[in-house]
Amino acid sequence: MHSEGHVPMVRPVTGDARERQISRAFVELADTLVDDYDMIDMLDRLVAHSVLLLGADAAAIMLVDADGELRTVAASSEDAELMELLQLQAGEGPCVECVRASAPVAVVDLSDTDRWPRFVAAVAARTEFRSVHALPLRLRGQAIGAMNLLHRAPGPLPENDLALGQALADVATIGILAERTVRRTEVVAEQLQTALNSRVIIEQAKGVIAQYGGLPMDQAFERLRGYSRRHNLRLADVARNVVNGRLNPRGVVTEAGARRR
Amino acid sequence: MAERGAATKQIAALIAEDLDEEALARKVCQACVEELDVDGAAISVLPANPSRRTLWATDATALALEDLQFTLNEGVCVEAATSGVPVLVSDLARTSEHSRWPVFAAEVAERTPAKALYALPLHWGALTIGVLDLYRLRAGEFTAVQWQDLLGVAEVAALLLLQLRTRPGSARRATEVPDGEARRGTGPGVAGVDGDGRGNPELHDDGHPDDTEGRDAALSDVLFGRPEIHQAVGMVLVQLGIGPEEALARMRAWAFFEQRMLIDVARDVVERRLVFTEEMR
Repeated sequence: MHSEGHVPMVRPVTGDARERQISRAFVELADTLVDDYDMIDMLDRLVAHSVLLLGADAAAIMLVDADGELRTVAASSEDAELMELLQLQAGEGPCVECVRASAPVAVVDLSDTDRWPRFVAAVAARTEFRSVHALPLRLRGQAIGAMNLLHRAPGPLPENDLALGQALADVATIGILAERTVRRTEVVAEQLQTALNSRVIIEQAKGVIAQYGGLPMDQAFERLRGYSRRHNLRLADVARNVVNGRLNPRGVVTEAGARRR
Repeated sequence: MAERGAATKQIAALIAEDLDEEALARKVCQACVEELDVDGAAISVLPANPSRRTLWATDATALALEDLQFTLNEGVCVEAATSGVPVLVSDLARTSEHSRWPVFAAEVAERTPAKALYALPLHWGALTIGVLDLYRLRAGEFTAVQWQDLLGVAEVAALLLLQLRTRPGSARRATEVPDGEARRGTGPGVAGVDGDGRGNPELHDDGHPDDTEGRDAALSDVLFGRPEIHQAVGMVLVQLGIGPEEALARMRAWAFFEQRMLIDVARDVVERRLVFTEEMR
């Protein structure tokens, strides 16, 4: 979604440093779940934390839409996104499988598997990723989507990391469903649709800000996010107003305090 | 993965057909009546200008409900359009509904036999293209399965409408129009999402094989799945000072004129290799 330079992470962040990092992540995520929080903002942060904590090169969250298709709602980089798109187009792959089975799916070496031939061929041709872990976003025995963790190096994730990854995926589920109180199943479908539509609006708003301010897409996103935080507004609402022309992009582009993460 | 509902399947299959807005609306409404246990349905589109246009209503009651709401400027449909979220009134007789829309509720009770009303916005991003309105002659809620299906119908119907409204040119078929005519922006669509490239599978936006499933996938890819397309829409709307729907229409017209895929045009815009100007019509 928003591209950011890849910082190669050394996989084992160990000991106290890692524990601090983990608790910081959960504290921050818990913070975002209070009151009138923004689902897309929360998912973007969650994806960023997953990359950091699990030593992944990219991560993404996909949701099942009302039409039964998988769609990306948050991704750590354009690379991951490309891959999700390939997967989506191929209509096959670990993520699809993970959602169907509502269980984790791991491909520890993409160059050494005979499953999903179209997907694997597309990944090999267009990306450098060599291993994929897909963790389900679980709700009452069903999967409403999946979190994808992508590594450039082949190999399985340690069990601890998998457990942590699943915990993060569960936080994502809670975040998606808690935006409004979910009492009935029908609301779930509506929430997913809202999340996916918000993504469309935010991408359009990024385009508006990028064009108006002569900024790269990732900075455009940072300006939008910075503006919504400073004004205590929801990112999706700011984006909607930018696209509809109800909010002058000048304010978002020029306002002091805009800076990169 | 979630199974598609029966009505959503019916609507998704329409991508393979060459329909105009009214015919599309008629089929969507009919599918709702057949599959979703409602007694009538209507679709109105909401253009940028203040007037609305009812594309189709399955019967006199459905039409009367549309007229009432747009005349009074209140009611479920108006609220769905303004708020962008579905509005469900499973029992109009409840007093809370009367306080919500005092005039509308009284008028519906007096003039129509409808007892329950449901309105779903047909949206694409920040844009509400129109509203799908349903009514029942008795009070009652949708089952979870029906609701899932109904959301699918609204989503696919919105995509199909958007596709029709932004297609390069009219509903005329590719084979009937010489290439040159397309330059005025009145020619037919050609890329996969238009459903006109039937004899030219290689022209499909995403290289999908020329079958129903391929069209279907191409449609959602182009209009929902590709962030570059949405980003480019945002950039083009600033470049030309227009709305998102028109920006998408311009991009599609340019892709058609240049005989390129929409996603490639979008990437050129995002990479700033292509800037839209007024002259590019």
